[in-house]
Amino acid sequence: MAKSNPPFMSGVPELLLLRLLDNREMYGYELVRSIKEATGEAISLGEGVIYPVLHSLERTGSLQARRKPVGGRTRVYYSLTKQGRGRLRDLQDDWRRIQSGIETALESPGHA
Amino acid sequence: MREPDFNDLAARLLQSGIAPRHAHRTVNEIRDHYDDLVDAALEEGVSRRKARLRAAHELGRIDDLVAEMSARRELKTWAFRYPRAAIVVYPLACLAVLPVAPVFAGIANAPLLARWGASLLAAGLFTAALLLVLQLSILFG
Repeated sequence: MAKSNPPFMSGVPELLLLRLLDNREMYGYELVRSIKEATGEAISLGEGVIYPVLHSLERTGSLQARRKPVGGRTRVYYSLTKQGRGRLRDLQDDWRRIQSGIETALESPGHA
Repeated sequence: MREPDFNDLAARLLQSGIAPRHAHRTVNEIRDHYDDLVDAALEEGVSRRKARLRAAHELGRIDDLVAEMSARRELKTWAFRYPRAAIVVYPLACLAVLPVAPVFAGIANAPLLARWGASLLAAGLFTAALLLVLQLSILFG
């Protein structure tokens, strides 16, 4: 195992996972492939790092997990709960606010 | 680069206080993820050895995973989340359970106890019958 995750990535996996699970239920490997696809591989995570985030979101009620046998393996599929949709909205609002602030700062460096 | 040691991962997660339910499920999910990565690499025509190396690289450092899990308090067992309370509650709970422990043990081993009781009863009846025969033989012998 070699990949690591820079500290500035904190919170990003949570947002991406909630956003992707808003469309349909998925399992871990499928989620990582979808993140790569959705972000044009701009975000490179150590793939194992999504599991603590998924478990944490499940524990706090944002996600629910169910086991499903697929091709001889038992996959754990995650889906968004009502509470998770609320959490997604909050995170998206936070993200847009931060993004807007950073863009403003980058466009006028003299005032940053 | 080595293949991930999943048994070691499970042990490390449990040692850091992660609830067994989350620790074991994480290991199973990580193992499946690793297998999926190996399969994907093999489909691209890569040798098995290279596929495993690539999968380990893609999965990320096991130390990061353990650190990430350990940093999440909500995934830990009750005793790891509230260690001071656990120091008080566990001994008290043990003291409270101690008097009723034989009852629970009896319920848990009910068939064994029933067999033991039946054997004891049969042995008592047999002994009583022998004594009765002896007594009668003395009286009428």
